Amino acid sequence: MGNTFVFMLLAAIAVGSAIGMLVSRDAVHSALFLVLNFITIAVFYLVLNAPFIAMVQVTVYAGAIMVLFMFVIMLLGAERLRGVWSDRTGEMVFAAFLGFLLLVIFLIALVMGNGDAVATAGMIDTSPVALGLRLFEAYIFPFEVVGILLLAAMIGVVILTISNKRGKNA
Amino acid sequence: MPEITIDSYIILSTTLFIIGALGVLLRRNAIIVFMSIEMMLNAANLLFVAFSRHLGDIDGQVLVFFVITVAAAEVAVGLALIVAIFRTKKNIDIDTLNLMKG
Amino acid sequence: MNAFGLAPLLLIFPVIGVLFNGFVGRQFVDADRKTGEKWSGWFGTMMAFGAFAVAVSLFLSLQAHDYHAEVVYILDWINIPSANFSVPWAMRIDTLSVTMMLVVTGVGTLIHIYAIGYMHGDQDFSRFFAYMNLFLFFMLILVSGSSYLMLFVGWEGVGLCSFLLIGFWFDRVDKNGVWKNANAARKAFVVNRIGDFGMVLAIILTFWAFGSLEFDPVFGTALEMFESGEPLFLFGQEIAFGTVITVITALFLLGATGKSAQIPLYVWLPDAMAGPTPVSALIHAATMVTSGIYLIVRSNVLFEMARLSIGDEMLFGVITTPDLVALVGASTALLAGLIAFTQFDIKGVLAYSTISQLGFMIAAVGMGAYVAGMFHLIMHAFFKALLFMSAGSVIHGMEHGHHHLHDHGDDDFDPQDMRTMGGLRHRMKITSVVYIIGALALAGIVPFAGFWSKDEILAHASANDSWVFTAVYVMLVFAAFSTAFYMGRQLKMVFFSKPRHDAAAHAEESSNLMTYPLIALAGLAVLGGLSNLPHFVKVEQAAHGEAVAHAAPDTFAFGLNYLGLEHWLEHSLDAFELTEEHILHMPHTPTNIQWFVAISSTVLAIFALSLAFFVVYRKKPETAQDPDPLQKTPIWWFSVLPLNTLYMSYFIPAFNRMAKWLAFSFDWTFWHDFVHDRLIRDMFVSFADFTSSVIDQKGVDGIVNGAASATRQLSGLLRRTESGYVRSYALSIFMGAVLLVIYFLFTTAG
Repeated sequence: MGNTFVFMLLAAIAVGSAIGMLVSRDAVHSALFLVLNFITIAVFYLVLNAPFIAMVQVTVYAGAIMVLFMFVIMLLGAERLRGVWSDRTGEMVFAAFLGFLLLVIFLIALVMGNGDAVATAGMIDTSPVALGLRLFEAYIFPFEVVGILLLAAMIGVVILTISNKRGKNA
Repeated sequence: MPEITIDSYIILSTTLFIIGALGVLLRRNAIIVFMSIEMMLNAANLLFVAFSRHLGDIDGQVLVFFVITVAAAEVAVGLALIVAIFRTKKNIDIDTLNLMKG
Repeated sequence: MNAFGLAPLLLIFPVIGVLFNGFVGRQFVDADRKTGEKWSGWFGTMMAFGAFAVAVSLFLSLQAHDYHAEVVYILDWINIPSANFSVPWAMRIDTLSVTMMLVVTGVGTLIHIYAIGYMHGDQDFSRFFAYMNLFLFFMLILVSGSSYLMLFVGWEGVGLCSFLLIGFWFDRVDKNGVWKNANAARKAFVVNRIGDFGMVLAIILTFWAFGSLEFDPVFGTALEMFESGEPLFLFGQEIAFGTVITVITALFLLGATGKSAQIPLYVWLPDAMAGPTPVSALIHAATMVTSGIYLIVRSNVLFEMARLSIGDEMLFGVITTPDLVALVGASTALLAGLIAFTQFDIKGVLAYSTISQLGFMIAAVGMGAYVAGMFHLIMHAFFKALLFMSAGSVIHGMEHGHHHLHDHGDDDFDPQDMRTMGGLRHRMKITSVVYIIGALALAGIVPFAGFWSKDEILAHASANDSWVFTAVYVMLVFAAFSTAFYMGRQLKMVFFSKPRHDAAAHAEESSNLMTYPLIALAGLAVLGGLSNLPHFVKVEQAAHGEAVAHAAPDTFAFGLNYLGLEHWLEHSLDAFELTEEHILHMPHTPTNIQWFVAISSTVLAIFALSLAFFVVYRKKPETAQDPDPLQKTPIWWFSVLPLNTLYMSYFIPAFNRMAKWLAFSFDWTFWHDFVHDRLIRDMFVSFADFTSSVIDQKGVDGIVNGAASATRQLSGLLRRTESGYVRSYALSIFMGAVLLVIYFLFTTAG
């Protein structure tokens, strides 16, 4: 499923940027790290023979969503906060432990996993045409629902941010 | 050099997911928390695509398509919420947002 | 006719009287004095008369049934089959019991009528009649019981009624602050109790020896055992039958001395005169005191057997019980007769006279002259009741006279003191006539009733040769002499001579309600002797060896052919066959008149009467303060009553101390304070406290409240999870997710 070297490189960048996002004090830096992470993921998609998804990732995620994030960060002036981490120590430890536990469990599951794993299937047609066909044939209903969802989201956003005071800066 | 199998993607995806989970649980800034949620979603997406490739089924990619869409909608609404909260509380430190404290 | 089925009515009538007078009588009396007294009093009297009618019907039924005894069974009382012990409530109707019944109810009815007049105006009028009927009830149980146990029930009951009636005016205090009536009642009860002790022991021994308490089985078994001569066994020791019989009869004697006021238990009877006069007449003259004699006559089989005990079987090895009985009776008769000389109280003389006459009767039955004893009992009932009631009439008259005096300043006036009386035969004509008749009858002047009966006793005593009988004869002769003397003295003091006090000078005759019964009794006193006249013409003596004379049941002197008491009673007095050698020991009752005895006693009596008239109040003028001429004689020593002093100085203080101890330390301190208050009440209170504070408040409330507070604490704890922090919620979600992953990974997958 891909060249080992490429994978390793990309994996390192992905994890590194994730961690960077996690620990950055400055929110803008976190956002930028996240953008890097997203782009890396998009490259992964390419490696995994999903070109359309890769492009969608870059367009929507890295392009729209993160921009939106940037906007809000700038708007709220939330670059700097007094504290970075939660001051509830017990919970932090517990959360870290849980995270670690989960990783360990997965590793164990993998190691213990089935020896007769399904071999990687052959390449299939993953062009936008194929994806679109699949989308509009089998998944037409969810497609429509998602559309309604987007509509609802838009409306919701407008309502949430509407201010009673006209002209006042939100 | 070890071969890259689905296992590698599983590990990678899990790692990213955990990092995202830790970010949700450990960071104070609401926006950072939000971003961590997005990271989690991404991790899941990655795994979906990996399995789609592994199993030779395009449905995985369709699912990712949907996830991305929903994520976008969700981000919009979430950020609008944060803005609204910021208007009243003047900060987005989630450790101070405990009005629902029982 | 057969009226035996009516026998329970004999007991039921008095009970109805008790219930009526006890519960509703007072309301009648309180509502309207005059009619109320009529209702209450006549109801009680009617009940007594009803009982008398039943007794008469039983008398006639017996006549029609050949005088055989009949046992009327009422109901089961004690029945223990495993111990073979069964005592039912049953009435024994035989000639003896019917005799007693007739006397009790007949004289009783007359006394009830008298009492309506006597108790007029009294506060507790109906209570009196309730008690009188109650007494009749118990006395009738006593005489009609078919077993010793029933007899004992009646025995105790009449003791109780005696207590109630003597102490009828229990709240009266005499001028020294002494509760005379209450003390007298208590004395009677206590002294009676000593006799009852003997009775109970005797009954227990009877059951032990003979296995039953009913008369027929007891006497039958006794006869068998007497004839077989086998001894009894107690704790492995052999006891001769004679000893057992001697002891039983001696204990019966103890009981009889208590009830019939013999030495040494006579001390209660003089004090009992504190009660109302009808009580003295009924109980202490005619009926209750005769129950001792009835007991001995009923147990004649046992006493005759005891007479034959010899050597070690005798009491203390010295004397047989019947001999002891006779001696006790005779000595009591003499002693009491002498004491009577010294009495100033009109009823006191009569009280000692009663004791004396009872002594005659006891002596008679002790000598084996059961018929003579019963005869004297009946006669005595007539004239003693007459005398007492007349004395009551005299007392009433004196009180009336005292009332009519213009100066009531004389608070020391005692209407019963003979020294203040005198010349009443002019003021109270009927009373004096009947009184004189009664006195002559008592003194034994022919042809009045007392002569015949007393004479028969004396005749019996004289006709048999043992030293006991001779001693008895001598004592009884002296007693008869003293009887006549003190009656003469009394007559002189009360009726003859001049009035020594204005009250006597103004005394008035009593109401008809009181005098009519007196007249009736006087008639009986005159004619009573006819019921058992001896043979004036010599008839063949009945063969020796018969315990009771079995003379031909027909002709009497003057060719009259009617049933005498002797023949009537012999059907109840069990005759029993004896072996040859015993014949010689049995006393025999002469049925022919003993001229020597008769004439000598009559002469003696007339002499005594005249002597009395001569000695008393000879000098003129007479005053109440005159010392009694007898005081100069040694006779006066009898005014000091040793036994009475013993009782007063030893028994009463000890009794009072014990009563006080029982009341204060036992009843009050122990029972009330300790047991009731501390033990029961405090325990209860602390238990209640415990229940309320510990169990209820802490326990139940604790559980309930505790559940509530536990819930609150738990919710408080759980509330912490709602921290309000999104992060915490997210953490828990994450945790859940991890757990789910674990679950799915390791359970479903491989």
